Amino acid sequence: MAMAGRAIQVSSIIVILLGIASGSLSLPPDRSLHPRILVLVDDLTVKSSHSLFFASLADRGYRLEFKLTSDPSLALTSYGEYLFDGLILFAPAAEHFGGSVDIASILDFVDSGRDLILAADVGMSETLRTIANECGVEFDEDSNAVVIDHLNFAESETDTEHSLIAADTFVASSAILGEKGAEAPVLFQGIAHSVAPANDLVIKVLSASASAYSANPEVQLNGPPSLSGTSISLVSVLQARNNARVLISGSLSLFSNKFFVFPFKKFGSSTSFQRSGNQMFAEEISKWVFHERGHLKAVNVHHHKVGNLEEPSMYRITDHIEYSVEIYEWTGKTWKPYVADDVQVQFYMMSPYILKTLNHNGQGLYTTSFQVPDVYGVFQFKLDYNRLGYTTLAISKQIPVRPFRHNEYERFIPAAYPYYSSSFSMMFGFFLFGVVFLYHK
Amino acid sequence: MGAKSQAGSNSQVISSFLSVQSSFPVSFKMKTKQQEMLLRIGALMLIYVLAFASRLFSVLRYESMIHEFDPYFNYRTTLYLTEKGFYEFWNWFDYETWYPLGRIIGGTLYPGLMVTAAVLYWTLRLLSFMVHIRDVCVLTAPFFASNTTLVAYFFGKEIWDTGAGIVAAALIAICPGYISRSVAGSYDNEGVAIFALLLTFYLFVKAVKTGSLAWSVASSFAYFYMVSAWGGYIFIINLVPLYVLALLVTGRYSLRLYIAYNTMYILGMLLAMQIRFVGFQHVQSGEHMAAMGVFFLTQVFYMVNWVKDQLDNPRLFRTFLRVTVLSAITVGGLAFAVGMATGYISPWTGRFYSLLDPTYAKDHIPIIASVSEHQPTAWSSFMFDFHILLILFPAGLYYCFKRLDDGTIFIIIYGMTSLYFAGVMVRLILVAAPAICLISAVAVSATFKNLFGLLRSKNQGAVSTKSSGSTKAWSKGVVDQSLPLQKKGAFVLVLGVFYLLMSYVTHCTWVTSEAYSSPSIVLAARQSNGDKVIFDDFREAYYWLRHNTPPDAKVMSWWDYGYQITAMGNRTVIVDNNTWNNTHIATVGRAMSSYEDEAYEIMKELDVSYVLVVFGGVTGYSSDDINKFLWMVRIGGGVFPIIKEPDYLVNGDYRVDKGAAPKMLQCLMYKLCYYRFGELMTEYGRPPGWDRARGVEIGNKDIVLDHLEEALTTTNWIVRIYKVKPPQNRA
Amino acid sequence: MAGAAGDVKALFSSLKSAYVATPTKLKIIDLYVFYALCTAVIQVVYMALVGSFPFNAFLSGFLSCVGTAVLAVCLRMQVNPKNKEFKELSLERAFADFVLANLVLHLVIMNFLG
Repeated sequence: MAMAGRAIQVSSIIVILLGIASGSLSLPPDRSLHPRILVLVDDLTVKSSHSLFFASLADRGYRLEFKLTSDPSLALTSYGEYLFDGLILFAPAAEHFGGSVDIASILDFVDSGRDLILAADVGMSETLRTIANECGVEFDEDSNAVVIDHLNFAESETDTEHSLIAADTFVASSAILGEKGAEAPVLFQGIAHSVAPANDLVIKVLSASASAYSANPEVQLNGPPSLSGTSISLVSVLQARNNARVLISGSLSLFSNKFFVFPFKKFGSSTSFQRSGNQMFAEEISKWVFHERGHLKAVNVHHHKVGNLEEPSMYRITDHIEYSVEIYEWTGKTWKPYVADDVQVQFYMMSPYILKTLNHNGQGLYTTSFQVPDVYGVFQFKLDYNRLGYTTLAISKQIPVRPFRHNEYERFIPAAYPYYSSSFSMMFGFFLFGVVFLYHK
Repeated sequence: MGAKSQAGSNSQVISSFLSVQSSFPVSFKMKTKQQEMLLRIGALMLIYVLAFASRLFSVLRYESMIHEFDPYFNYRTTLYLTEKGFYEFWNWFDYETWYPLGRIIGGTLYPGLMVTAAVLYWTLRLLSFMVHIRDVCVLTAPFFASNTTLVAYFFGKEIWDTGAGIVAAALIAICPGYISRSVAGSYDNEGVAIFALLLTFYLFVKAVKTGSLAWSVASSFAYFYMVSAWGGYIFIINLVPLYVLALLVTGRYSLRLYIAYNTMYILGMLLAMQIRFVGFQHVQSGEHMAAMGVFFLTQVFYMVNWVKDQLDNPRLFRTFLRVTVLSAITVGGLAFAVGMATGYISPWTGRFYSLLDPTYAKDHIPIIASVSEHQPTAWSSFMFDFHILLILFPAGLYYCFKRLDDGTIFIIIYGMTSLYFAGVMVRLILVAAPAICLISAVAVSATFKNLFGLLRSKNQGAVSTKSSGSTKAWSKGVVDQSLPLQKKGAFVLVLGVFYLLMSYVTHCTWVTSEAYSSPSIVLAARQSNGDKVIFDDFREAYYWLRHNTPPDAKVMSWWDYGYQITAMGNRTVIVDNNTWNNTHIATVGRAMSSYEDEAYEIMKELDVSYVLVVFGGVTGYSSDDINKFLWMVRIGGGVFPIIKEPDYLVNGDYRVDKGAAPKMLQCLMYKLCYYRFGELMTEYGRPPGWDRARGVEIGNKDIVLDHLEEALTTTNWIVRIYKVKPPQNRA
Repeated sequence: MAGAAGDVKALFSSLKSAYVATPTKLKIIDLYVFYALCTAVIQVVYMALVGSFPFNAFLSGFLSCVGTAVLAVCLRMQVNPKNKEFKELSLERAFADFVLANLVLHLVIMNFLG
């Protein structure tokens, strides 16, 4: 472990040096270049049955460590330091974990900003259900229920219950699913879940069609199914406020080699697919979960008066000011400038007084300038950037705005000259009067 | 005890002085005068020291510290003034209060007090006394109280005689009504304002009596000082016109009055407008219009008189009078109507209304009614604050009416109006105190003079009724024959008055030491075994804030504690005791009276990072937030109708026990005050969660907080601070 | 109507005749007062036309005139030999007071102008 730590240090030092050498643009990567991932399985055969998925991760530089959930030496932390950057839970039936791992430690892992991929399946354990629940996802109460769709299934000899779903209702986000998106439907066989309506951090990535429902095929259905239609989510992601990302899938086999290379024909459709969309989907979404896409950071927030580059501690009303911020996106290797035309900044005090869209130079530098409103108080430069699949940027910088000082008002106003002259004539009159009055006998 | 014995000796000095004054034979006139002078100066000096000394109880009992709420703001601004200089102070925009609105301190305060203290401080520094600014602030009020005694002496001398002056000085030196606002540490505007008020009145009466421009100028400067020190200057600018009007109506108009009033008004107005907080209000707001009206009236009056002087034809004069009066009324009425219609003259403020109609605030402005010092005065507090002066006051009025002149008319009007206002609002007892002392002094002085006149006639044996005017006034030359009986009666009466004065001294000393010297930031209580316990929870909490929270943390509390938090905790507050923005306070009131999740939204809106509540359930401290809570509901409900007072009451009763209203049991204030309280044993033989301030067992013992976490609970649970948690990471 | 007009006429004529008897010293003061009041009226008219924007300037201009007039009237009272109230007040003292008051007035006005 110590060796690995040193390696990271060394590499980051190199990158820092490179960054200094190549100019201001390449920032030091504050994310690990070779993230360590713990893969927890309840059966080591998963390692081979899902090897394509793991291989794609390893190819991208991830160092995977496979452990059985019952391994007594399991630990996520050592002396307060996290040992891993990500966790893949491919153990749907695990009730308990070995070592020091439990539900709370896994949730703490997420709350520390680290990522989690959780795959459930039919017969999932109560433990996984709780973890999913804490991440805003609720699985069907009956752990033997599966998603059944009599209209959108892949034709197959083994599947007689129409539970091998060919799903193609993807979330419209190139950040999550990549530029190309999915080229073929994704095969799914597993348990249904729904996302908590109050939780707007959870996104349904792959939803079921309107004709789907969740039921236990062994049991006679009496009454409407608990989950049905498009409210069923097959795969969901959660982006926590601290940028930790969680992927929850109702099907473990979605990531399996078998599904990756499965040629199929969707029911009622004439086109047959040589391969399912699973491999591409899994790879792309794992890129998102492990922050290779859509991870933004805003740095160098700066504001100053026009013509004076120094950042003041206070502005005056009606000052002309400039605001700038640099936004970068992580690619897994480096920070590259983020380019978008919809980044806005607010000059905010209880409500936005000014809302400006920022101009950018294509190099990640966003700027704008405006005039401070004629209102004093404690304002904030608020940048709330909230785009589907991207890190939520919420930076606010407090700055007080003061009114004019007593000597900053216009001093002598032309309209008031008559008043001035009258005052002075009074003074003059006073002298004149005094002289006349005194010397008159 | 020291002050007590001093007070006792002092009244003896007065009495001996009085007896000396009246008993020395005429042949030693020169010598008598010198002795009298010496005694008078000696007595005044003693009074001066006494006034200062009797206000030091709080320093002896506790320590040299600033008291209460507002003084902390004054202290903070004074500190700023001495550190940054006058111009920075003048332009100070304070963004640590009223977050996020901020407050222009320089333009929204009366700078007189701070400038006074700063000047004192700089002077002492110049004289190489290494004093701390805090001590200067602590002692400013006693110092000015001492000065007030001098003004009272001169005022008393002006309206009656030197004896009345000395008695007035002695009475006001220890009058509880005045001491309540001017003990050491009570660093508030009133401390210097009463001095300025009395000085203005004295100089004005002087100006009216002499008709001198110089005295008028002096009174306008005193008025300027008053305006710079306290919003109560409104009283002057309405009382003086009232007085002028009374003189006009009673036919006592004189040219001296014209000179005194008009000079004082014009110069005083110009000077007052230099204070940013007053500014154009002086010519625009309704409160000041009476003075302006009387100003015009005196011009018209003068004009009419002048023409009358010039004309010898009464018929012509009547014509002229008709034309002038008619046109004056038309012009005046028109100007006022136009001013009102265009909004140039702003209507009266709520406080002013509530003075004229005591029920107004209760119905319309809860924020004014919620302040305890704005409550109507109870009889007991009159007794408490004035003691024998209440008896002497009517007697003094009687004497004043017997000898009506410009000075006594003024003091009568001052006494009557201020007594009325004192009845409407507790804090205005302070304004009435000097008047009551002066009029009582007139009573004491006149009575003594008459009685000693009688006693002296016994000494000399053969004095007839011609002896002195005042004796005549007293006995009315009724019974020369029954002189011996009268003498005995007089002797008994003298003793009686002495007894009254002595008991006044005892009462004043007792009240000062027991009731008015508590700093209210450090609380003291007696245990069952008689030992004194000190609760220093407030400072504990504020210093905790100062040292354990990020510098830009925003603290939400009820507005009472705003000044203290900014001054001692050095943290930004949402609202404070300068209640200029009702909506903002109502927002805080709403947050406190909402359910926790609703309150959380409000607090996020205001960027609140800590919430501070004051809770007396453990110590029995009764002016805590639970007892103030209904005002929060009322003020919050006044702006946000979603908050309804009946939701917190059960059949009109305010309860916190099991029978309390469900919303009461779940609102933020209740939760924050009683969090973890249900597991605490407060009193032997009572169930856990026994609230000692209200004497009930609380109704909600297992309180769970979702969005806040306890950050600090002070030793005696008086102050509890909660941290607002950031939003949940995954939801 | 005619009677009233006659009255007014008679009023003015008798006023005029009475005024002639006034000492010159007082007439000087009257002239001074008249001058100040005229200036004040001019300013009010100007303000009505232009608007009251630099309100402090208007107030100081206007009040300097009114103040001057009032102070002069006060002086007039004090130096008028007909007024018995001010018998003991010497002319020098009255004038010194007047100068003091005026100095205060104009200093404050200066401060308030800008």
